[in-house]
Amino acid sequence: MRKSFIGAFVASAVVLAACGGSGSSSTTANANPGGPIKDGGTLRVAAYDGIDSMNPFIGVNDDSYATYEYIYPQLVQYDANQAFAPDFALSWTHSKDGLAWTFKTQPNAVWSDGKPLTAADAAFTYNTMIKFQDTVTAGSAGSIARMTDAKAIDDTTLVIHFSAPEAAVLGNVQQVSILPEHIWAQYAAGDGKALKEFANTPTKSTPVVSGGPFMVTQYDQTGTTIFMKNPHWYGTAPHIAEMGLEYFSNEDAEVTALKTNSIDAIESVPPPSVKTLQDANLTVKIGPSLTYRTFIINSSPYKTKNPELQDPQVRMAFEYAIDRASIIKTAWLGYAQPGTTIVPPGSGSWFDSSIKPLPFDINQANSILDGLNFTRGSDGIRVANGHPMTYEVLFPGSERGAGDRAFQIIQSDFQQIGVKLIQKPVTGAYSIMTAPDNKYENWDLAMWSWTPPIDPDFILSAMTCQSLGNWSDSGYCKPAYDKLYAQQGKAVDPTERHDLVNQAQQMVFDDRPYIILNYNDTINAWNGNFTGYVESSQGFFGALTKQSLIDVHQA
Amino acid sequence: MAVRGTDYVLKRLFFAGITVFVAVTINFVLFRLLPGSAVSNLARVPHASAALKAELTREFGLDKPMWQQYVIYLGQLAHLHMGVSWVSDSHQPVWTYLRGKLANTIPMAALGTAVAIVIGIGSGVVSAWRRGSKTDHVSTNVAIAFYAFPTQWLALMLLILFAGVLPVNGMHDPFLAADVGGWTRFLDTMRHMILPSLAFALTLYGEFTLIVRSAMLETLGEDYVLTARAKGLSSWGVVRTHATRNAMLPTTTLIALSLGYIVAGAILIETVFTWPGIGLATYQAVVSQDYPVLQGAFLVLTISVVFFNLLADLLYFKLDPRISA
Repeated sequence: MRKSFIGAFVASAVVLAACGGSGSSSTTANANPGGPIKDGGTLRVAAYDGIDSMNPFIGVNDDSYATYEYIYPQLVQYDANQAFAPDFALSWTHSKDGLAWTFKTQPNAVWSDGKPLTAADAAFTYNTMIKFQDTVTAGSAGSIARMTDAKAIDDTTLVIHFSAPEAAVLGNVQQVSILPEHIWAQYAAGDGKALKEFANTPTKSTPVVSGGPFMVTQYDQTGTTIFMKNPHWYGTAPHIAEMGLEYFSNEDAEVTALKTNSIDAIESVPPPSVKTLQDANLTVKIGPSLTYRTFIINSSPYKTKNPELQDPQVRMAFEYAIDRASIIKTAWLGYAQPGTTIVPPGSGSWFDSSIKPLPFDINQANSILDGLNFTRGSDGIRVANGHPMTYEVLFPGSERGAGDRAFQIIQSDFQQIGVKLIQKPVTGAYSIMTAPDNKYENWDLAMWSWTPPIDPDFILSAMTCQSLGNWSDSGYCKPAYDKLYAQQGKAVDPTERHDLVNQAQQMVFDDRPYIILNYNDTINAWNGNFTGYVESSQGFFGALTKQSLIDVHQA
Repeated sequence: MAVRGTDYVLKRLFFAGITVFVAVTINFVLFRLLPGSAVSNLARVPHASAALKAELTREFGLDKPMWQQYVIYLGQLAHLHMGVSWVSDSHQPVWTYLRGKLANTIPMAALGTAVAIVIGIGSGVVSAWRRGSKTDHVSTNVAIAFYAFPTQWLALMLLILFAGVLPVNGMHDPFLAADVGGWTRFLDTMRHMILPSLAFALTLYGEFTLIVRSAMLETLGEDYVLTARAKGLSSWGVVRTHATRNAMLPTTTLIALSLGYIVAGAILIETVFTWPGIGLATYQAVVSQDYPVLQGAFLVLTISVVFFNLLADLLYFKLDPRISA
């Protein structure tokens, strides 16, 4: 498991491209060339992540969020062009000062149990999250940033108020699943603790009360969860009758299961299996994802040991000594792109493509370090501030495998510039990093990864001083950056916000708390039984849009 | 004699109790030496407030001094309460969670172990009986090979070889029609059980073969075996009646000890085949730093090892007159 961005933000997406569209690689076994669409059938999907809880206030896995996307309404979703499209909200406007947003919602909608689904359910959900944002619903706090309350003016009008203008309103509400008030209100009483005690699982006779295109009729955390078509859903009915999301704890097993027709599709294919699946004449879709790998240089202002690592020249030398092409070719078998900024290309226009990585140039790196008078000792290791440039690299378990190979490449190249790296596998990396008392004092370097949402607000926030002890894994803290972050958060004008987001990306790139090694591709695969999958940066089963499982149909 | 027997049993029980207590204590300390906790993961949300961290810390009882957590832990254990899972769905009580998982592991592991015992004893006896023959060489070398293969590798090979022929994932077919009978469901579960059980059997049988062969060879060299032969008993008769029964002493110990390690062995096999047992639950608890479940799983492992060791001691006492004499 990677250090995925968890919490209510898991959403994100990017290029939502219909199957047969813009995937960078495909071997199509069975397309459905314009014939009549055959309804019905059971789609069997392998899940490597799994649904850790049916309760949106507990679940943290990507599959959990994809499940909530399909069983609950959200106000908006992403369309194929990464623009916001209607979901439960048909249209939206905001006041001139940006402090009130009005959403017109679906008329005559009902939950799967036949009870009315109205703007009041949405107001209940938002107000509950606002009320308990410091305790039980804190995991979703980012989605309700600066919200003060939500009011249902009538059955189809929802007004959300803010304490200050908020730039990422639509990106945030896209991540909030609207819950049925008649089911959840009893758990939101008092201190709200019961919200996290409610399992929200189906029984033999009663599915989870749903307002999305599917309802879960059978839930098994380490088995198969069954999604049946919700006959009451307000939107376009899905073509398939049901979907089974089958949990696999072993990637080889899911690849084998796809090859032997035991399942129909895999959400996330390990790179070494791509050729195997292509050779078996299965469809393999490769596209940009939001996941990227980082080489982290501890930037904490409290850190006193090995001060040379705070020197921008040393950091620049390190980047010159990183051979991204070799890492991509060897560690990721070509299924990745060179990394630059903390906002990945999967974020679409938010990604600042004008920022370019430094080229791999050992001579340049050596020249910089020579210029700093870090001379080599008898063992070839340079000496800085009286000690050898030997550093441990914290290495969380989630990075094992391909990450090991990436480390070996970096280690070997750093040897050439007189810097010795020692891999230090760790459990609980985050606790080691933040110690003591969120001062990030006891380590030098690390390797890890991020999977941020499509809107850049979250990943930008992870670099602020306020994130020390929360999401920060670099100790980076710079008032000028914090100012930029705050400004972009309030910039309701998209052009202005883009400019501020770009400035923030450039600042982090120049300061190098991270050297982004590579952006990973998302790799999905399926057999010829079904077609019409809709791809996104989260694959065909994600938390960005309901479109994929609505469009997919028997071939 | 009776007093001696009672004394022996009491001593064994006492030492088993001490072992469990020490293991329980180490279990408690070890997991708390690891960096991080569920709170450090769960509190990782944007702008997590100090209030949230305090709330989570309080929720999981981590705000109390270590000794107090230990006393609470012992008190809860005495009542079979192992706390609540920090991660599993809706924070289930650990014992409830693990009990369900254990119920899935036991039939699969028991079947695998039973097959291993039968094949191991059979091949061990035949190897010893045909010592030096081609059969002996083949049987012994195959047993050594299976004994040496890493469990997860063996399981993966089975998965690759039999995928498409036998189910390779989970415990049952989730798409079985709701109205199919119990017998069909039973057969479906048995089909899913074949590969994980086979992996279990192949992992264990090699060791059984080698121990049985060695014990048999030792027994076959005894004077009473020579006497039996001199009396004109057939070669197979000697093996069956005199040698095998006596060779069962070390085998009994080995089987009992093997049963104790079912939980440990299940971790790798269940992870490969996604068998929803205690092994997979342990793996998931490691990944998510779910200390209460880990503690519970290790406690189950400890108790099962100690219990089956105790069982082996008591069986030995019963089977071997030299101990009770």
